[in-house]
Amino acid sequence: MIGGLFVYNHKGEVLISRVYRDDIGRNAVDAFRVNVIHARQQVRSPVTNIARTSFFHIKRANIWMAAVTKQNVNAAMVFEFMLKVIDVMQSYFGKISEENIKNNFVLIYELLDEILDFGYPQNTDTGVLKTFITQQGIKSQTKEEQAQITSQVTGQIGWRREGIKYRRNELFLDVLEYVNLLMSPQGQVLSAHVAGKVVMKSYLSGMPECKFGINDKIVMEAKGKGMTTEDPARSGKPVVVIDDCQFHQCVKLSKFETEHSISFIPPDGEFELMRYRTTKDISLPFRVIPLVREVGRTKMEVKVVLKSNFKQSLLGQKIEVKIPTPLNTSGVQLICLKGKAKYKASENAIVWKIKRMAGLKETQLSAEIELLETDTKKKWTRPPISMNFEVPFAPSGFKVRYLKVFESKLNYSDHDVIKWVRYIGRSGLYETRC
Amino acid sequence: MPAVRGDGMRGLAVFISDIRNCKSKEAEIKRINKELANIRSKFKGDKTLDGYQKKKYVCKLLFIFLLGHDIDFGHMEAVNLLSSNKYSEKQIGYLFISVLVNTRSDLINLINQSIKNDLQSRNPIHVNLALQCIANIGSKEMAEVFGHDIPKLLVSGDTMDVVKQSAALCLLRLFRTSQEIIPGGEWTSRIIHLLNDQHMGVVTAATSLIDALVKKNPDEYKGCISLAVSRLSRIVTASYTDLQDYTYYFVPAPWLSVKLLRLLQNYPPPDDPGVRGRLIECLETILNKAQEPPKSKKVQHSNAKNAVLFEAISLIIHMDTEPNLLVRACNQLGQFLSNRETNLRYLALESMCLLATSEFSHDAVKKHQEVVILSMKMEKDVSVRQQAVDLLYAMCDKTNAEEIVQEMLNYLETADYSIREEMVLKVAILAEKYATDYTWYVDVILNLIRIAGDYVSEEVWYRVIQIVINRDDVQGYAAKTVFEALQAPACHENMVKVGGYILGEFGNLIAGDQRSSPSVQFQLLHSKYHLCSPMTRALLLSTYIKFVNLFPEIKTQIQEVFKQHSNLRSADAELQQRASEYLQLSIIASHDMLATVLEEMPVFPERESSILAVLKKKKPGRVPENEIREHKSPVPGSTANHQEERSAAKTVSANASTDLLGLSTPPAAPTAGNTGVLVDMLGELYTSGSPQPHANNVAAQNAYNPAKFVCKNNGVLFENDLIQIGVKSEFRQNLGRITLFYGNKTSTALQNFSAAVTNPTGCIGKLNVQSKKVDPTVEAGAQVQQMVNGECVFDYPGLSSILMANLPLTKLIKNEQHLNFIVLISV
Repeated sequence: MIGGLFVYNHKGEVLISRVYRDDIGRNAVDAFRVNVIHARQQVRSPVTNIARTSFFHIKRANIWMAAVTKQNVNAAMVFEFMLKVIDVMQSYFGKISEENIKNNFVLIYELLDEILDFGYPQNTDTGVLKTFITQQGIKSQTKEEQAQITSQVTGQIGWRREGIKYRRNELFLDVLEYVNLLMSPQGQVLSAHVAGKVVMKSYLSGMPECKFGINDKIVMEAKGKGMTTEDPARSGKPVVVIDDCQFHQCVKLSKFETEHSISFIPPDGEFELMRYRTTKDISLPFRVIPLVREVGRTKMEVKVVLKSNFKQSLLGQKIEVKIPTPLNTSGVQLICLKGKAKYKASENAIVWKIKRMAGLKETQLSAEIELLETDTKKKWTRPPISMNFEVPFAPSGFKVRYLKVFESKLNYSDHDVIKWVRYIGRSGLYETRC
Repeated sequence: MPAVRGDGMRGLAVFISDIRNCKSKEAEIKRINKELANIRSKFKGDKTLDGYQKKKYVCKLLFIFLLGHDIDFGHMEAVNLLSSNKYSEKQIGYLFISVLVNTRSDLINLINQSIKNDLQSRNPIHVNLALQCIANIGSKEMAEVFGHDIPKLLVSGDTMDVVKQSAALCLLRLFRTSQEIIPGGEWTSRIIHLLNDQHMGVVTAATSLIDALVKKNPDEYKGCISLAVSRLSRIVTASYTDLQDYTYYFVPAPWLSVKLLRLLQNYPPPDDPGVRGRLIECLETILNKAQEPPKSKKVQHSNAKNAVLFEAISLIIHMDTEPNLLVRACNQLGQFLSNRETNLRYLALESMCLLATSEFSHDAVKKHQEVVILSMKMEKDVSVRQQAVDLLYAMCDKTNAEEIVQEMLNYLETADYSIREEMVLKVAILAEKYATDYTWYVDVILNLIRIAGDYVSEEVWYRVIQIVINRDDVQGYAAKTVFEALQAPACHENMVKVGGYILGEFGNLIAGDQRSSPSVQFQLLHSKYHLCSPMTRALLLSTYIKFVNLFPEIKTQIQEVFKQHSNLRSADAELQQRASEYLQLSIIASHDMLATVLEEMPVFPERESSILAVLKKKKPGRVPENEIREHKSPVPGSTANHQEERSAAKTVSANASTDLLGLSTPPAAPTAGNTGVLVDMLGELYTSGSPQPHANNVAAQNAYNPAKFVCKNNGVLFENDLIQIGVKSEFRQNLGRITLFYGNKTSTALQNFSAAVTNPTGCIGKLNVQSKKVDPTVEAGAQVQQMVNGECVFDYPGLSSILMANLPLTKLIKNEQHLNFIVLISV
C-alpha cells in the first residue's frame, strides 16, 4: 500500500507528486528532500524511516523517485514496482531526465493513475498500457473498442490483445549477459558470476503459443537419460548450470515446474522473457595481468598486459581498462601498443581504450607515474584495475536450443516464422587486483 | 564569468564558481580531482612559482579542504608564503597553516622560525598576523617557544595598542593550553596594571586574560580588585560622549563593564571600606540607570544596558552582604517580569532564583509570587515557564508552601510534557519538606498520582508509603483517601500500588464503615488487578494475604483468587509462586501464626529523601536551591528550624527502597525480621523431604555458597578478609577425594591453624571420612592444602550427603573464630 509517489530532480525540487492515501501529508515531500537528498550522500540505505513514515527511493541519473508509506509494506514489492514505473516511463518517452519528465508530466500523472490504485499496484505492462494510454491525445473510442480494452485488461491473458496481424511473422531473441569478476594479482579467480537475461521481440499474428528450449543442465540430463544412458557432459554438448532464474509473467510456471519446459504466449513487441544467474564454468573473455613497481617515494612503474581469451574469429568491442593511480600523482607518461591511453586526473586513473580486439591476442601498456611527496604516512591501498568490454558470445555458455511457435487458429506454422538469435556478453564489475 | 576585484585571484574565482555549478556530488569530486592533479603537477614542476601563483594554489587547496576533502601536500608552499612581504600572501600562508598544519608536523620548526621573525618585525600588521596564528594553533609547543616573547610584547612600552590587544588574547589562549606560561613575580603587577591602560581595547582584552589568571591563582592577583573597581566606576560615571569609540548605543563600554563585573565575582566583597564604598556606589549607579528612560528605542541599546544590569545583579547576589542593594535588585527584576521581551523575563526569573536563596531578599522575592505563578501559567515560551517553576520551587517556604503546591498541582494538568516529570518531583519534595499536617501531604501526593501518574517515579510513591507507615496519625486518613481515590473508574497504576499497599496495612482502620467493608475493599482492589502489570499484581497478591489476616471473614473469597492464579492461568512465574505460597500459608497456618507472619510493617528507618537526588540527577547544574543560605550574621529562627526539620524528614535511599517493599525480589529474600520468619516456615513447608538444618550455621555475611558445588567440582568455597578456602574434588563411584586449599589473605602469618573434618552424626557408618593434618602455620599470602578422602558405604535416600568441616582459626590478634562449612558430596 504505497501512500504516495514523488519524483525529484537533483536539487530536491519536486517534479511529480502523487499522493494516494490520506495518511501522507504534504510535509512528507519536504521530509525526504531535507533528510535524504540534501544529506549529500550521507544516506546510503534505499529505505529511510522519517517520523514513522518509510521512504523507498531509487535514483536514475539525476532523478530521484521515492515511494512513501506509513504502513508495513513489502519493500521488495515497492522496489519492483518503482523499477517497473521507470521501465514504463522509458518506453513512453525514452531517457529518464529532468527535461523529459517536465515535458511529459501530464502523461506521467495519467500513467500513475492507471498503474497504482489507492496505493495498490495494478497492471504495469507497457504493451497493455500503450493500448489505452497514448500520447496522441484523446481519441474517442467506439463501444466495441472500449469493451475490448475492458475484457483484455481484466481477462486471463492481460498482456496480449486479440486480433494482432502481421504480414511477416518475425521474432528476435537477444541473450544479454553481464560478467562479474574479481581476480587476484596472481590470476586466481576470487569470485565470478554471470547475470544474464533473454530479451524477446515478437511480431507474431494471433495468439501464438511458444516453446523455448535452452541447454540447461537439468533438462539435458533428463533427456539424456530418457534416450540413451550416455552422460550428456561426455556427449560433448556444453550445458549450463543455472543457479536461479525468473520469468516474465506470461510463462506458464506450472508447466516449468512439472516438465521443465518454458512455454508461453508472448506479449506483442519487446519484453524480457527470463533472467538468470550462473556461477560455474564461466569463460572469462579477457585477462588482465598487472605489474606494479614502486621506485622510491616519488616514482612508480606500472605495466598491464591484456589478453583476449576467446575464439580467434570473434571480435571484442568497446574495451576500456581503468588503472587507478595514487592520489599524489603529479605526472604520467604512457606507452601502449594498441588503442589510446590517457591519464584522467578527474578520476585519478589511467584510462586505456581499445576499439576492437580479436580473440587469442595480447597487448600491453606501460606507464611511468611521478608522485609528489606528501606528509601523510598512509600507504596507497591500490584499488583494483577494472575493465569494460562487449563480446559477441555468452560467457556462461548459455545456448538457445529452439524456439517453436504454434498457432492453431491461423494458418502459419513454425517454419514460416523468421527467427533471429543474438548473443552479447558485457562486463559487469570486472576487476583485477594489482 | 565571476567578477574579480583588485588583486583577487581569477583562477580561484573560476574554480569556486565551477564547483558551485556542479550538478551532483560526483561532478564536484571530478572537478576537485582535476584541480588537485593540476596543483600537484604545478608544485612538482621544476620551474619556480611566484608568490601570486603560490598564494592562488594554496587558496584553492584551502577551499578544497574546507569542502571536506583531505589535503596532504602544499604545506611547504604555504610555509614559503610566510616569508613574503606582501600582506595578502602572508595572510593566506598563516591561514593555511592555522587550519591545516598539525603540530606534529616536521615543518613546525620552520613555521616557528617564521613566526618568530614576524613577532620581531617592526610592522604591527605582521606582528598581529603572527599572534593570530599562535592563538589559532595554541599548542603546548607554541606556548613553550613563544612563552617569553609574548608577555614582553604585552607590557613593553613601545608596543602599539592593537598589538597589545592581540598579545593579551593570544596569551590567554596559550594560558588555557599550558598554565605555566605566565611568569609570576613582577609580571603580576605589570599585567594587573594593564587595567589602567589608556586604550579601552587593551583593557577589554586584558580583563579577559586577568579573569582567567584570577581563576587559577586568586591570591596573587588580588591587587586587581581596586583597579577593576576604579575602572568600573570611571566607566559607569562617564557620560556616553566620553568614550567615543567604546560607546555602544549610548551605553559606555558595555562589554568591558560586564567583564569587570565578572572579574569581581571571583572575589568576596572587598575589605577596604573605600573600595567597597566605591563599588557599592557603582552598583547603585547601574541600578539607577536602569530606572532612567531609555535613550534610544533600538533593541541594541536596551540589550547592552540590561547586560550590564544583570551582571551587576549577579555581583550583588554574589556579594550577598547589602540588603539594600539586594532588595532594589529584586524590585528591578520584578519590573522585568512584566516586560514585553521574553528573554528579559527569562533572565529576570533566573536571577530571582538566585535572589530567593539569599536571606535578605527572600521576602522581597516572595512579593512577586502572584506574577510568577501567572507567568508559569500564561507564558508562551516553555523555557520561561520552566524557569518560573524553578523560581516557585526556590521561593517556597513554610508560609506559602500550601499555596504554591496547590498552584503547581493545578498547572500540572495542562503543563508541557517536557517539564512534567520535573514538576512532579518538585511538588513531591516541597510537599514533604513543608508538610506541617501530614494529611495535607497525603492529599497532595495522591493528587499528584491522579493528575500525572505517568510521571510519578517509583521513589515518589515509595516515599508516601514510608511516611504513612512511620506516622500513625495519618494512617486512617490515608486509608480512607486511597479508598476513595481508587473508586474512580480509571485510575493510574501507581495509585493502585499505593492503594494496595496502604489498604493491606491499614485497611482495618476503615473497615468499620459499611461503605468500605472488607469485602468492598477487596472487590475494589481486585477489579483493578487485571489491568495491572505483573509487578503491581504481585503487590496486590501480598495485599490479599494481608487481608486474610486482617479480615478472616473474606478468607474463602481470597483463597479462591489465589487458587485461580496458582496455576498456568497466570503466565508469570513470580505471580504463580506467590499465589501458591500464599494459598498454602492461608490454609496451613493458624490464626496466631498468620498474625505474626503478616504483622504490620515495622517503622522504616529515617533516611535521606531520595527524590531530591533524582531531581539533581535529572537536571545536573540547574536545580535551584530551595534552601536559604546561612549567614554568620544573626540567623532568623525559622531558617534554623527548617534545617533541622529537613534532616529529620530525610529518609530512604533509592536502592534500598526497592528492597524495602520486596517487589523485585522473590518472597524468599529475608530483609526485614518478619519476612524472615515467613521464609523459614515456607522453607520447611516445601523442603520437608530434604535435610537443610545447617543453614543457620552459616556466617551469612561472607561470600559463601556451597550450593554451587552440586554441579561444579572446583571453586572457591569461602572467602573473607582473612582467608580464602578453595575446593577441588574428584569422585569415582562411591569414592571421593576432596582437596581443600587454605589461602592466607592477611599480611601476617596465621599460627595455630588447624582444620578438622567431622562426620555429621547422621552419617556415621554410612560415610567414611579420612583427612590429613594441616601445617599449623600459614605464611602471609601462602596457601596450604589438605586432602580429604571419603567413601560412601551405604546408599542414601537423598542424592547428597553432608560433610561438615570445623576450622578453629586463631589469628594473630588473638580473636578466635569458628567457621563452619558444609561441603556437599554428590555420590
